Amino acid sequence: MTALLRRAPLVLPLLTVIIALAVATDSFLTGANIENVLVAAGIVALPGLAMTFCLAMGEFDLSVGSTVSLAGVVCCSALIAGRPLAVAMALALVVGAVIGLANGLVVTKLGVTPFIATLATLVIVRGVALAYSDGHDQIISSAGLKYLVGGRPLGVPMPIVLVAVATAAAWWAMNRTRFGRWVCAIGSNREAARVSGLPVDRIRIAVYTLVGIAGGAWGLLISSQLQKGNGQLGLGFELDAITVVVIGGTALLGGRASIVGTVLGAVLIETIRNGLNLLNTPPAYQRISVGLLLIAALALKGLRRADTTVVPTAREATS
Amino acid sequence: MKTSLGRLWDTWGITAILLLLLAVAPVVTPDFFSLDNAQSVLRESAYLGIVAAGMTFAIASGAFDLSVGGQLALCSVVSLMGYAAGGTALAVAAALATGLACGLVNASLITRLRVPPFVATLGTLFVFRGVAYILTQDGPKTLPYDQIGSPFVKIGGLDVAGLPLPFLIMLAVYGAAWVLLRRTATGRRVLAYGSSPEAARFCGISPTRLRFFVFALVGVSVGIAALTYITRVWTADGSAQDGFELKVIAAVVLGGTSLKGGKGTLIGTFSAVLLVSVLNDMLVSQGVPSAYQRIVLGGVLIIALTIDGLRTRFAAPGSLRRAVTGLGGRTPKPGLAR
Repeated sequence: MTALLRRAPLVLPLLTVIIALAVATDSFLTGANIENVLVAAGIVALPGLAMTFCLAMGEFDLSVGSTVSLAGVVCCSALIAGRPLAVAMALALVVGAVIGLANGLVVTKLGVTPFIATLATLVIVRGVALAYSDGHDQIISSAGLKYLVGGRPLGVPMPIVLVAVATAAAWWAMNRTRFGRWVCAIGSNREAARVSGLPVDRIRIAVYTLVGIAGGAWGLLISSQLQKGNGQLGLGFELDAITVVVIGGTALLGGRASIVGTVLGAVLIETIRNGLNLLNTPPAYQRISVGLLLIAALALKGLRRADTTVVPTAREATS
Repeated sequence: MKTSLGRLWDTWGITAILLLLLAVAPVVTPDFFSLDNAQSVLRESAYLGIVAAGMTFAIASGAFDLSVGGQLALCSVVSLMGYAAGGTALAVAAALATGLACGLVNASLITRLRVPPFVATLGTLFVFRGVAYILTQDGPKTLPYDQIGSPFVKIGGLDVAGLPLPFLIMLAVYGAAWVLLRRTATGRRVLAYGSSPEAARFCGISPTRLRFFVFALVGVSVGIAALTYITRVWTADGSAQDGFELKVIAAVVLGGTSLKGGKGTLIGTFSAVLLVSVLNDMLVSQGVPSAYQRIVLGGVLIIALTIDGLRTRFAAPGSLRRAVTGLGGRTPKPGLAR
């Protein structure tokens, strides 16, 4: 049990929240509601998984929120123009990949710090999405796209199937492949990784591209849910994606990553949101609780570390 | 070795670009230097500029404050509530006190609970905005429209000798900030801590006190900015100025303050703020849709930072050796955004 808690420190808070909500509300522990929570968690966890690689590398991608809107707009307008569903979905993913690739190239080849580079693409991509959609909703009614969120192969909601597959793939890539080890190596000491002969720039570009594709997929899920694309969708999503990763225990400075933690982080956040909804708490309190959760997750870690290290290292102090 | 030309560019580069832009501005916008237009550009730049002055200290010390958007919303709402309850004096006091309180909360989380600034201020961004939402649950706080004669409203609308009062406040803030950063021991401590926290600690600089000072400074600057903001737009709620934090950080970095800490330039920040406002004005006057304005501004940001990135890469000591051995890239430095 202690080993499990050490590896997945979110299990205990999650159980506490679940028990509290089961006692406080009648409707929390119903099958339909739990499914709602898991579907919502799956949708946030999907980009969170890609973002885990980025944070493990010690970098961020702030641009995913805009990728969501541009991918959604591109997919929906393609559907409106009568293109087949497969083409529309592929276009959205390609848009994501191109944005990610651009981020990677700007960060590695032009030497712009990730924070600013992805901040700039955040602004630019949203501009493109607004210009492309002319500020209007691209309303669609596509049963095929709806299947992405509403479908139930073998009775299991589609987002849960998707995120299960993605989690397995991400876990395998992070823990069982050279790629995962390289990502963490770059995160813990980039210069050492470079000197050891790792193709640092190529790995960074690959990770940014991965995050871009995940952003595109996120856009597809959101458009599937709302049956529309819009240049304003996804505002502030970038912080959501980073939040689930950080709550999940991936080190902000890189070098360590927890795929399972990211998924649990998404489940924890969505459980709390769902519980607050059931308790009829206004949305403002939901923001506050997500903020407090974020601080608490890192404060607990900081206090634990305070027992062992008297003097924080330079990197910890500057972060 | 950095040449003296390079050092000159560090401080004045963005100012040079600004002057160039000002020279071109009348060609693009015939009435650019008309009193009305110039005044509105300066008035608009004030609240961004004032917060950017505070943020320059935070970034120079190697941290950034993502919560300023939430702080601005909260300060504005509380200040408008103060005005409703007790007039101008209470409104001003409420804005400043709220900003200070937000800064102290951030600093406490960072120093006492050891939460990294990025996460602590990301968390408080949600929290501050959330509190502002709760306070405005029965509708946004507004200034009543029959209050045009009140001294509070004049903060945003008054012109002194042709210059908008918000801009004069911004000038005063920059003057004070420049003295603080360049002419006092505290300013040197901020820069020393930013360039090497470890070395600074061994020299007897207290990280805790420094953090409190810097984040309180950001909070107070937001309080001042909130005053110029609400007396201009007359209303505020939890969603006021969504995305503000990123604009502020972008302006500071565009001005030449290093995200890695240890380097801060208020002249640069000031010029960058004006540059963004002037550019915005030119785009608006050309009838460029707001969607394309974003694209241009984002592009400017990347270009400016690319020039900076390339310059640092080739000016860094050992760049020749790295160029020869193929181990390109910049020397790793401590800091978040590596």
